Amino acid sequence: MITFFSPEKLLPQYIQTFEAYIPSRPDPELMKMYRCSRLFRLNNNENALGPPPEAQEVLGRFAPKKAALYPSGDAFYLREALAARFNKGADQFLVGNGANEVISFVIKAFCEQGDNIITADKTFAVYEWVARFSGLEARLVPLKDFAFDDEAMLAGMDERTKVLFLCNPNNPTGTYWTLTRLRRFLDRVDGRAVVVVDEAYAEFVDADDYPDGMALMETYPNLVVFRTFSKMYGLAGLRIGYLAGNSAVVDAIRRTCIVYSVNRVAQEAALAAVPADDHILRTRQMVREGKAYLHGELQALGLPFISGEGNFVMVRLPFSDTLAYRKLMAQGVMVRTMTTFRFPNYIRVTIASMEAMKALITALRSMLT
Amino acid sequence: MPVATGFVEKSALAFGLGQEEALALTLATEEIFAYLCHISAPGTEVEIRCRSAGYCVDTELIFDAAGFQMRAFNLTAIPSVADEAPVPDTGLLIASRLVDRFNLKHVGKRLVLTLIKDKAYPETCGLDMPAAVPVSHFSIRRPEGEEVKTVYRMITRYCRDTMAPPSADFPGKVADIFLSGEIDAAMALDGAGHMGGVLFWTRNALRVVECFGPYVLHPESDPGMAIALLDRCMEEIARSGAVGLINRYPGTGLPPGYFESLGALTFCTGDGVCLDVEASYRHLGEDKGISVWAHPDLVPFLATQYERFTLAREIRRVTTEGEESAPFSVLSAEVDRFRHWTILRPLDYGEDHDRVLEDHVRMLTREGFRAIFFEMDLSHAWQAHFTPGLLKNVFEPRIVLPYGGKGDLVVFQHRMDRQA
Repeated sequence: MITFFSPEKLLPQYIQTFEAYIPSRPDPELMKMYRCSRLFRLNNNENALGPPPEAQEVLGRFAPKKAALYPSGDAFYLREALAARFNKGADQFLVGNGANEVISFVIKAFCEQGDNIITADKTFAVYEWVARFSGLEARLVPLKDFAFDDEAMLAGMDERTKVLFLCNPNNPTGTYWTLTRLRRFLDRVDGRAVVVVDEAYAEFVDADDYPDGMALMETYPNLVVFRTFSKMYGLAGLRIGYLAGNSAVVDAIRRTCIVYSVNRVAQEAALAAVPADDHILRTRQMVREGKAYLHGELQALGLPFISGEGNFVMVRLPFSDTLAYRKLMAQGVMVRTMTTFRFPNYIRVTIASMEAMKALITALRSMLT
Repeated sequence: MPVATGFVEKSALAFGLGQEEALALTLATEEIFAYLCHISAPGTEVEIRCRSAGYCVDTELIFDAAGFQMRAFNLTAIPSVADEAPVPDTGLLIASRLVDRFNLKHVGKRLVLTLIKDKAYPETCGLDMPAAVPVSHFSIRRPEGEEVKTVYRMITRYCRDTMAPPSADFPGKVADIFLSGEIDAAMALDGAGHMGGVLFWTRNALRVVECFGPYVLHPESDPGMAIALLDRCMEEIARSGAVGLINRYPGTGLPPGYFESLGALTFCTGDGVCLDVEASYRHLGEDKGISVWAHPDLVPFLATQYERFTLAREIRRVTTEGEESAPFSVLSAEVDRFRHWTILRPLDYGEDHDRVLEDHVRMLTREGFRAIFFEMDLSHAWQAHFTPGLLKNVFEPRIVLPYGGKGDLVVFQHRMDRQA
């Protein structure tokens, strides 16, 4: 007998109203569907230079037989290397399967039904998503002048606010809080909640007044910093990121941490990437040149743009960003549409090789004429 | 039987239906339940659920699909004297006419039949309403129920040259729908509380949101108001999982650059005045590219449309190679008697599809409907088999709505001027 089963009946209400995120198809499928012969990926803020040479070398000599062995369950050697680099203890780091996973660790550790988190409305979506599909309220504070609004975030706090998420610099606007502003904010939060500063793009920032979260956490034990190997270090395909914080806070978060979720290849490549300072300089140089070129060309095309810190620029189009995506794809250029970031008719463009930047400008020009 | 009918009647009354509507829903349930117990699924489990949506009550009956005569739910169905069991079929027919709408869907080997009965509402009458004034400095927020009723009345008075949103004749119904969460809205107000404009939206299909407006109530209001209302709508739905936003009621005008034109559908008034109403659309995210099923006769139309919109689609042709079909086709019909249009949607495909379509057209035309549409979901290969019959019955494909169903939706319109 085949029994009737409706999964909807078993789903919590907050899951019933939640839609699954459907990622893009793989590049070869997209190229076939859009009939393009090459594809410049300017949609995910990946590093066009790839991983640092040291990491590439590790990847090249990875012994296939090691794939049969479980990795270190808590990324032991990588945490040791991070501790040495940032002058901290290894127990102050937790490594996850991409920074997305450590967002879940933090929310699971500190929040229960009835609690809330606070973040911005126009920022990286995953803080909001994880909160919502955990049955928590995500309080979204509108950006002010394209930046996180500290006063409004503080005003939104109550006794059930457990975590405040700040993306610094903000994805997708590139705005950032200075050291003074972050300190003032932490002072006013006064240990009432955990403050997460997501520094996924920190290694791209040139500005002198950009705060070093790693140093600040010694003064503010409720501060947790996220970093990733996906952006500057070019290891997005291996999914590896980490959080750092005060030992007691990290110990609390570790209770919800899924061990063994980071594979052996990712751990070894990341370990090799940690000291790769030359790679950072080369990437920053590429981003500087790409931005300078793009700024000039966008101005010439009469397209307004928002360009702050990070390896990306937001461009305002005189037509739908989602239509632009399809037309750009047909010309072999993939960008990120911004309607889902609540910026209708904007696209976000990753700064990559000059060849890719020129292909983008050529395609935009053809759409505007 | 008394348990089933008692449950539905008491629920319907508790959920706010009037005596007459509650009785109709109860009788419809009784007819279906009797049919299931005696003919279609005797000795099997039948699950009944009632739900209030504020402005209507839904009754869901979940049962084994085998033996259930869905064809009785055709608008054109009549009791067949040739059938061996005409009386039970008549029961289904009666049930289908007692409710305002119904849905049938397969879940595995079971059917979920949803009977929907609306609450009765009074039409709007000559109530006082605020004057429309130019609004220059405004903020946007979600209106409250009473504000929704007021702004609906203001639209019908101050935006007379536009198509008013659906149910404009029943502001109380709209307020209930709004409170139920089925529609949402953004309203522009100035510091003194003057209403400057409004935009409504609702998730009308699996993955598409439909918006109505923007309605800017005074022509001298801030020209940025329409953009601000649309931006708020998109901010609200951006992370809802919806993939598209459609607009067939542009209100006082859509701002340039926000939508792509899909084409037009023709609507006609009772006295025969016809108007082409443009359907505008935008994706909310990046198009992932999908496969669609199509009959070879429809492929040229689809290829042209997909090329025009730069939509990545793999068109798969359906074929007929001597395989068996079910004997009967079933169509559902959504009707708007005030605006004289109806939408036919296929529920099942069978050998008699041509005649069923023909019967629907004849009946709807006779009853004064001026626009007859047929929606085909290209994610279902079986629906594509309706294409030759549609073309033969002088339907023509008018627009493709990306993701309007489970996949893309083609809207055919019957060409009354070419009717044989």
